[in-house]
Amino acid sequence: MHKKTSNSPVLDEQHAEFITQRVSILVASCNADRMPSLTRSFGCRVSPDRCTVTLFLSVPRSESLLRDLRAGGAIAVVFSRPSTHETLQLKGASASIVPIDVDDRARMRTYGESLADDIRQIGWQEPFVSALVTVLGEEAVGVSFTPNAAFVQTPGPAAGRRLEPNP
Amino acid sequence: MTIALSQIRRCLEGAVPSVLATAAQDGTPNIAYLSQVHYVDEKHVALSYQFFNKTRENILANPRAVVQVIDPADASHYRLQLQYLRTETDGPLFENMKAKLAGIASHTGMSKVFRLLGSDVYRVLEVECVLGGNPVTVTPEPHLLPNLRACLARLAGCSDLAQLFDATLESLAQFCRFDHAMLLMFDASRNRLYTVASRGYPQSGIGSEIGLGEGIIGVAARERTPIRIGYAAREYLYGRAVREGFASSADGDALETEIPFTGLAESNSQLAVPLLLGRRLLGMLYVESPQELRFTFEDEDALVVLASQLAVTFELLSQSAEQHEEPATTTPAATAQGVPLVIRHFAADHSVFIDNDYLIKGVAGAIFWKLVRDRSEAGRSEFTNRELRLDPELKLPDISDNLEARLILLQRRLAERCPFLVIEKTGRGRFRLKVDRPLQLNDVPVR
Repeated sequence: MHKKTSNSPVLDEQHAEFITQRVSILVASCNADRMPSLTRSFGCRVSPDRCTVTLFLSVPRSESLLRDLRAGGAIAVVFSRPSTHETLQLKGASASIVPIDVDDRARMRTYGESLADDIRQIGWQEPFVSALVTVLGEEAVGVSFTPNAAFVQTPGPAAGRRLEPNP
Repeated sequence: MTIALSQIRRCLEGAVPSVLATAAQDGTPNIAYLSQVHYVDEKHVALSYQFFNKTRENILANPRAVVQVIDPADASHYRLQLQYLRTETDGPLFENMKAKLAGIASHTGMSKVFRLLGSDVYRVLEVECVLGGNPVTVTPEPHLLPNLRACLARLAGCSDLAQLFDATLESLAQFCRFDHAMLLMFDASRNRLYTVASRGYPQSGIGSEIGLGEGIIGVAARERTPIRIGYAAREYLYGRAVREGFASSADGDALETEIPFTGLAESNSQLAVPLLLGRRLLGMLYVESPQELRFTFEDEDALVVLASQLAVTFELLSQSAEQHEEPATTTPAATAQGVPLVIRHFAADHSVFIDNDYLIKGVAGAIFWKLVRDRSEAGRSEFTNRELRLDPELKLPDISDNLEARLILLQRRLAERCPFLVIEKTGRGRFRLKVDRPLQLNDVPVR
């Protein structure tokens, strides 16, 4: 597997921007028996050096995934923009569970509004839109990981292309 | 709380993309979007296999998977724990998913990208409702059972096949608001379906034919499986299927003896259900709509129940139509006045033209030719189904071929094309050929 170094993030600026808004985010891990776990993330932030991504997860909706990550399971995250099908998958060898702060809560709200806007564009209406993006009031945590590989998965000829690190 | 798969079937309609997580041997997880999570039965789903990719590699090495589906009404999330069992590359399940995928692909502009390589069948180990989320108010889906019951009651009141055909389509419109529907019978000797009744179209299309494997109806008939799609695909529309049928037609069926297929030009939702007696295909019941995602799983259930009742009633009524032993009366026919109708019969395919207008061909054409000949040569106007069945010249296929349905087809084609020739029922298994103009018969033998 490709090893990244701290000065060569696999995320380029454009993709770092892409994953924070107007995308549906799904997170997977697996347990020791290789049974996968899967949950939705409600936004994320990218560190200034683009080496760390912190996902925001609802705790009650993500029990098995959090358990698998705590046990040292690897992580995969897919970001997909409903209106364009543009899709990116990030992988990480492990992830840590971290607390989130008020700024992150604000990011979750902004993210929710941006996703709602994107799915409204393709014809979805209430009550579906609000129900999909609302996690306000639920206990939430951050999941931080260092992407070690990124794959473009937009359906089409380039699907599966691996992004090369950009120093 | 245990959730039955049937309770969340509307999550499997493809309205919201589903997501699949798998894991490699080394424990690296992978996520993929799925075009289809197909409900097979209470314990199984089938996922579309379109590309040889990481997902494929993973499930072959490690058969555990989890799929997340979303309710399109209230955005509830459900997770299905799965165990991969096998991949099917032909047969009813595969063809069903292929037709559906073609629709999804054309809906999302992905026709060139999406091709079904296989149907991956998984056992459902557990269905989990994802906690959290705000409760939302969703309009409950209407109950279909009372409507189905009303439809079945109408069928039970029918005393002959013609009534049965019309009552079926009328009750679908009245009780289920399925406004565009047609009924086709299967001609096993030619492997083709012919339309005997339709409702909700400017042209009836009665007598038009479709081959097994052509369009949604033809594929569903060939595979003996219901097919329901919420986004119609260009390649499955009849117009196109029928045109391609012409192009590939090597059986000598000439273009001018084809009756145009009816059907919505802008059909977006389609549901084709076979009429089966055991494995024997009697025909097809078909409904369509210009609205996308018009037909639900429950609609499909209802139509399958209706179709099975229709098949049994159909069989009972067609048998009783041929059990009439009483010979036809031999009252001489009244002499007709006026300009003669020129009736041409081509023995090669029994195609019949009246004053150069195409009427019908095949078995119905041969029957028609016998009727007008008996009328001209022996002055007969009263006939029974039974004598047609026993007529050595007609060489009717065995009893499983539906003579009564062919007579209805002929009767309806005449009603549409030639007001001077009328087939009237005179009793069970008996009918009269009413002729209002003199007939001039012209037989074109096989060259």
